[in-house]
Amino acid sequence: MRLTLQMLISHGRVARKMGLGPESRLNMLRNILTGLVRHERIETTLGRADEVRFYAEKLIDYAKKGDTDEKAMKMANFWLTEKDLIPKLFKVLAPRFETQPKAYTRMARIPKRENLDRADMAVLEYKGNPFPPLQPAKQDNELTLINQLLTGYREERAELAAAIDEVHSATI
Amino acid sequence: MACRTACQTIQRRLASSAAVVRPSPAEVRCHRSAVFTREQARQRALYPRTEKIEVALQGAGLQGTLLIMNKGVSTPHSCARHLTEWHVTSSALALVDGEPWPLHQPLTKSCSLSLLSFKDKEPLLVNQAYWRSCAALLGQVLQDAFKDDYTVELLRIPEVPVTSGAFCCDVVLDSQLDAWNPSEESLRSLTRGAQLLIHRDLPWEPLEVVPPVALEVFSHSRIKQEEVEEKARQSHKGTVMLYRCGDHVLLSGGPLVARTGLCCQYEVTAMHRLGESVWGLNRRAQGLSLPFMLEAHHTVWRKLRNRAAKQVTLPIDSTDALPDTLTPPHAPWQTPPPAPQQ
Repeated sequence: MRLTLQMLISHGRVARKMGLGPESRLNMLRNILTGLVRHERIETTLGRADEVRFYAEKLIDYAKKGDTDEKAMKMANFWLTEKDLIPKLFKVLAPRFETQPKAYTRMARIPKRENLDRADMAVLEYKGNPFPPLQPAKQDNELTLINQLLTGYREERAELAAAIDEVHSATI
Repeated sequence: MACRTACQTIQRRLASSAAVVRPSPAEVRCHRSAVFTREQARQRALYPRTEKIEVALQGAGLQGTLLIMNKGVSTPHSCARHLTEWHVTSSALALVDGEPWPLHQPLTKSCSLSLLSFKDKEPLLVNQAYWRSCAALLGQVLQDAFKDDYTVELLRIPEVPVTSGAFCCDVVLDSQLDAWNPSEESLRSLTRGAQLLIHRDLPWEPLEVVPPVALEVFSHSRIKQEEVEEKARQSHKGTVMLYRCGDHVLLSGGPLVARTGLCCQYEVTAMHRLGESVWGLNRRAQGLSLPFMLEAHHTVWRKLRNRAAKQVTLPIDSTDALPDTLTPPHAPWQTPPPAPQQ
């Protein structure tokens, strides 16, 4: 349901059409979101991942209200088709994102599907999951030639600044 | 012993008489290169039969790789050519049994080999070799830059740490040039000379020789001969390392990187006067360079470049504190071990 530039100029067809109709769409997204809450990292088509991302974030927002909140429990009951996940949502995911105001999920594109339809694929995950990171951590080595040169440059700057400070304090 | 000393004195006499006639720089270059070629051919002829050695490679993704190479012929570079193109282009130096080893020096026994590049986890060794090579390149440029009327004598290349910001090359120019101050344009033309050499992508060919051969190579230069004797006295085996780049033969205090094409950004930044010595007015040329995998953005480059123009002061006793000359000079070169001849 997200508005993009492409959808804005698409002459009224502002919604991404998924499944057989509005109800089918909701059922599909519910199933995907249930899978996401269970596995914390899933692989779907790009469109579905993009659609379900909004609801995944919203679900955490409700879960952070606590399991005594009526609306929150109603939402969890609606979106999680497998009811054993409701405790996980309130006891595991909500405490994990307690200090984080938004952006609980991460999405990354992956190569297209290998079968006939060649659909764009994506990975959707909740942050803080136990799996290895999607992208390799950036390696920044302090010892490479250019970083060594820059270290020397910074040291010289610091020495110069200290010398100037000393002169200032001496004159004052 | 007596014969060697006699040879040495004769060579010195020859050197002093040759200095009067003063051969042109092209002739000197030609002579040095010819002696180098002759000695290289002699050392290659020491292995007439093809014998095989086993080289165990180490490094990421290469664990357990075993190459069967030719003794005295194959170099670490040829080992890299059995791997991927990335290994060929990016390796700058090799470690043979834990010792730094120039990439173009033939392997003489079964060993373990790891190829070093600029982006390794521990690139300090490669960085130092790169800095030394850039200084050697600067010396080569200075040697070629002047007209034939002016003599250019390169002094010992000072070993400066990378963090000092610039590599430097000490030089004594002709006494007619004592009043000359290099302008921006002169520095730029030196930079251009260096970039031409980088574009030609010349290898630095190493050759380990006994001092008499090195003295013959540098028979036109008294300064270099003294440096040869000192280096030979300081080294374990009583030998010195010569390197050739194009037709320029130089003496190095440590291993150099594989080829000139590894430099990407290169600039000669300044030329300072150091003061008088017995040879004449000493000058220090300074430069800044970065290898091809670690280019800097122009804003960063400008800052580093401005810093590199300031005169580098060497740490005290830097000439003695080189990592490979720390050993006490126990073996004078007059009694070299017969190992290289075998």
